[in-house]
Amino acid sequence: MIKLEKLDQAFVEEVLAEPGGEHLLTCWSCGTCASTCLVRRYDPAFNPRLILHKAGLGFRTDVLSSVEIWQCSACDACYPRCPKQIHISEVMKAIRAIAIREGYERPGVVAQVDVASCIACGMCVAACPYEAITLEMSAHNGTSKMAAQVNRDLCMACGICNSVCLSSSIVVEGHTDERINDDLGVSPRLQRGTAKDTAKVLVITCNWCLHAMSDVSYAMQPPEGVKVVNVPCSGRVAAVFLASALQRGVDGVLVVGCKEGECHYKQGNALERGRVAVVQDLLDLLGIERSRAQFAWLGALDRGQFPKLVEQVVRDVQALGPLSWGQ
Amino acid sequence: MVDAARHPKIEILAYSEVERVDGYIGNFRAQVTKKPRYVRADLCNGCGACAKVCPIELPNSFELGIAPRKAIDVPHGQAVPLIYAVDLDNCIYCYKCVTACGKLDAIDFSQESETVDLDVGSIIVATGFDSFDPTVIPEYGYGRYPNVITTLEMERLANSAGPTVGRLIRPSDGKMPKSVVLVNCVGSRDSRYNEYCSGFCCMYTIKNALFLKQSDHDMDISIFYMDIRTPAKGYEEFYNRAREAGIRFIHGRPSQITEDAETHNLFVEAEDQALGQVIELETEMVCLSTAAIPRADTEHVASTLTLSRSPGGFFMEYHPKLRPVDSPTDGVFLAGAAQGPKDIPACVAQGSAAASRAARVLSADTWEIEPIVAHVWPEQCLSFQGKKCGLCAQACPYSAITVVQGQAAQVAQAKCHGCGGCVAECPNDAITQANFTDAQVVAQLRELLRDRPEDKILAFMCHWCSYGGADNAGTSHFEYPPTSRGIRVMCSARMDQDFILEAFRRGAGMVLVSGCHPQDCHYITGQRVAAKRFDRMPRALERIGINPERFRVEWISAAEGEKYARVITEMDAKLTSFDKAQLRAENDKARPEIEKRLRRWKAIPQMAELLAEEKQEKQEVPA
Repeated sequence: MIKLEKLDQAFVEEVLAEPGGEHLLTCWSCGTCASTCLVRRYDPAFNPRLILHKAGLGFRTDVLSSVEIWQCSACDACYPRCPKQIHISEVMKAIRAIAIREGYERPGVVAQVDVASCIACGMCVAACPYEAITLEMSAHNGTSKMAAQVNRDLCMACGICNSVCLSSSIVVEGHTDERINDDLGVSPRLQRGTAKDTAKVLVITCNWCLHAMSDVSYAMQPPEGVKVVNVPCSGRVAAVFLASALQRGVDGVLVVGCKEGECHYKQGNALERGRVAVVQDLLDLLGIERSRAQFAWLGALDRGQFPKLVEQVVRDVQALGPLSWGQ
Repeated sequence: MVDAARHPKIEILAYSEVERVDGYIGNFRAQVTKKPRYVRADLCNGCGACAKVCPIELPNSFELGIAPRKAIDVPHGQAVPLIYAVDLDNCIYCYKCVTACGKLDAIDFSQESETVDLDVGSIIVATGFDSFDPTVIPEYGYGRYPNVITTLEMERLANSAGPTVGRLIRPSDGKMPKSVVLVNCVGSRDSRYNEYCSGFCCMYTIKNALFLKQSDHDMDISIFYMDIRTPAKGYEEFYNRAREAGIRFIHGRPSQITEDAETHNLFVEAEDQALGQVIELETEMVCLSTAAIPRADTEHVASTLTLSRSPGGFFMEYHPKLRPVDSPTDGVFLAGAAQGPKDIPACVAQGSAAASRAARVLSADTWEIEPIVAHVWPEQCLSFQGKKCGLCAQACPYSAITVVQGQAAQVAQAKCHGCGGCVAECPNDAITQANFTDAQVVAQLRELLRDRPEDKILAFMCHWCSYGGADNAGTSHFEYPPTSRGIRVMCSARMDQDFILEAFRRGAGMVLVSGCHPQDCHYITGQRVAAKRFDRMPRALERIGINPERFRVEWISAAEGEKYARVITEMDAKLTSFDKAQLRAENDKARPEIEKRLRRWKAIPQMAELLAEEKQEKQEVPA
C-alpha cells in the first residue's frame, strides 16, 4: 500500500518552482492528453496524465526515474485540447530539468556524431527541432577540431539532422541512411514487368501520421504495385532518397507527413514538404511530370483517408504511365 | 405562461423590445418598441390557416433548423400569445394568407412598429441563456460529421411534437441509432471557452440517457464525463437509477471524435480513468451536452438597465449570498439562467423570489435608502457657473447624476448607492457624500498621522473588499507590522487624490490605496474609475518631488487576508529602508506645492474650520 503522507511534498514545490512546471496542480485528470498522445501506440504504458498526477502527489523517485518523462517529444498535440490549457510538454521539460540536475540519464538511443568526418557546416544545428546540437571543439586524433555535439538530454532521435548532413557524419542508430535505403530499395513487388497494368508507387509514411487502426493495417498490406515504408519522421527523408527511388524503377513516390502544426517533431513535416517541392522542380527540369513526386498531410481526425490518398496517387501515376528517363 | 396570459393584472408584450429605461426604484419609465406582426392581435385566433397556404419555407429556429417554418408563423406550438406574425424579410407578398384568413381579416400589412412608455415600479430581468455552439471545437467534429448533434437537437428529435414526431433518427441516414454516446462538459469547465460549470448538464444528460433507454431497451448508451454533479434533492437517486438501468458511465473526457466516411459511424477516443487505459468506442450517434452561455445581447440589456456582469458573462447579483436576486440597480431583479446557469427548480425558486422582491417595492409608499448618498452644492458646481463639465455623471456607475450645462448637477438620490466616485472626481469639490465628507475623512487622517507620521503607512480601504481583507488578516491571525493606519470609505472610487496629497502634506511615510478586484467591484465600475485616477498618481507625485515608491495601489478581496498582510509587510520593509531625514525633507519640499493645490478646500463647509484648527495647533506648539 502507498502511504500518501510519506510522499515527498518538497518535490511538488520543486516542480512548481521550475520554469514550465507552474501548472502542475491545475490538472484535474480528465485524460484528454492521454488519449490524444500517440506515444502510447509504441509504448502502451505511456500516460502523461499519470505522470502529472504522480508528480502532483509527490512520487519523486518514481517520476524522475521513469522512461516516460523522456518520451514526450513536445509535439503539443495535447496542449490545444487540454481544457485547463496546461502546457504538458513544458511540465515534462521542468521535470526533466530536475532529473538532469539529480543525475538521471536519458534512456535509449540518440544521434551520434562521427567527429572524424564532420565538417562542422552547421546544417544539423539549424535543422534540429530541439536545439540539441551545437558546434564544439572536440578531441580527435590527439588534436582538437570543431565538430557537432549532441546534447543527450535534448535529443529525441528523429533523425532530421541525419537527413540534412552533408558528410553523413551524424546518424541515429536504428534508422541509418543504409537502412532506409535498403527499405526503400525496389522490392520484387515493385520490379518492372511484374504487374503490367498497375503502377509502381512507393509510399513513405512517418511513424505518427496514421491514427486509425484500419489505416495502419492498410499500410501493412497495401494493394499490388504499392510499397509502404515507415520512417520516424517525414523530415528524415532526404531528397536523394526520393530521386534514387524514381531512378530505380518506381513510377511515383508519395510522402505522407503529419498535418501542418501536428508534427511529432515540431517541424519535420514542413521541412519535408519543401524538399518534395524541390524534387518536383528538379523533375520539371528533367522533363518528367512533377506529379510523380507528391506530398500529403494526414491529421489525427483524418480517419480512413490514407487508403483514398494512396489510391488517388496510384490513379494519377497510372494515367502518366511508366516512368521513362528518355536519353 | 397560459395562466400569466389570463391573469387580469398581467399584460404580456411579446415580440417587443425594451429600448431605454429611465428613473429609479418605484418610478421607472421604460420605452418599449412593439414590433409589427402584420397580424392584428385582437383578431387572430391562432388557427394557422395562413401558415398552411404560405408558399415560403425557411429554417425553423425553434427546431434548430431541423424542420421548416413558413414566412407567416408562430415561434412554436405552445407559444403565448398564440398570434401569428409575418416575416417581412422573406415574404413575397402573394397575399395567399390574406385570402386564407378570409372573413376574420386579421392580416394587416399596413401595421407599423409602435413605441409605448410604461411607468413601472420594478423590473425583473429573466432573459435566459444561449446554448454553446460546439463548431469551434474541431476535435469533436460538430458541423462536420452529420451524426454528431447537440443536446438541444436531440431534445427536438426525441420530442413527440418535434419534426420527427418523437422518432430519434440519425441525421445521416434517417435510421434509429442502435448506440449513442453522450459527452458531458462541451464548452463548459474548459478554460478555452467557459471556465464555469454549467451545472444542470449532468442531470439533463442522465435524463436523456434514461429516456433513450426507455424508448429502446437494447440501445447501447454511454456517457463520457469528467465529474458527475448531482447535488440537489433527489438527483443522486436519479443518477443511481441510470447506473442500474445499464447506462455505461465512462470516467474520461473524449479527446477526439472521428468518423467512418462510409457508414458515418463515429469513433470516440478517451482515457477511461478507472482502467487507466485509452479506449475507443464505435457508436452510431454522438450527442454533445453543450454549455449554457450568456445570451448574445446580455451587454445591450446590461447597458439599458445599468447592470453588471460576472466573470462568466451572466448578470451579476448584488451579493452572491445575501441578495442573490437583486441587481446592482435598486428595483431591478434577476431571475433564472440570465443570472447564471441553473436548472428548472432553481429557476422557479429564483423567479418566485424575484417576484416577491419586486412586489415589496410595489406595495411600499416610501423606500429607505442608505444615508450615504451624494449631495451637490449648486453654486460650487462648474456647470452651474456656465462651464462645461460633467465628470461626476461620467463617474457614476448608476447614471444617477444628470448634468445640463448652465444648471447644477442633479443627483437622483433613490438611484445613488453612495460609492462616492462623483465626490472624488469633482474638480471643484462641489459634491459631497453624507457621512463620508471630505472634512470627515481629513479629520480621521489628521488623527492617524498625529505622531511620527513618517513611520506610518496610511491605508485607504474600500468597505466591501480590502477592508474585509484587512479584517480577514486580523481574524486569521496573519502577522503584519503594526505601522499601518486604515481609513475606510465605501469604494476605491471615493479615494480622492487630494487625500493622498494631504497625507503626504501631513508627513505620512507611505500611502496605500486598496479596493476590490475589477470584476468584484460592488459599485459596478467604481474600481475602474479609481484605477484610472491612480494610474496618473505616481507621475503627479514625482512632479512635486515625492518618491512615487512611497505610494502603492493594490486590489485586495475580502478573502485575501494573506495578501493584505503581505502588502503591508512589503511596504513596511520598504519604509524601513528609507532614510527618515530624507523623507522629512521630501515632505517639507512638497508641502508648499500641495498647499497651493489644496487651497480650494477652504470653500468646503467644515473644512475651513479644520484647517483653522491646524493653524492654531501650530501656534500652540512653539508656546
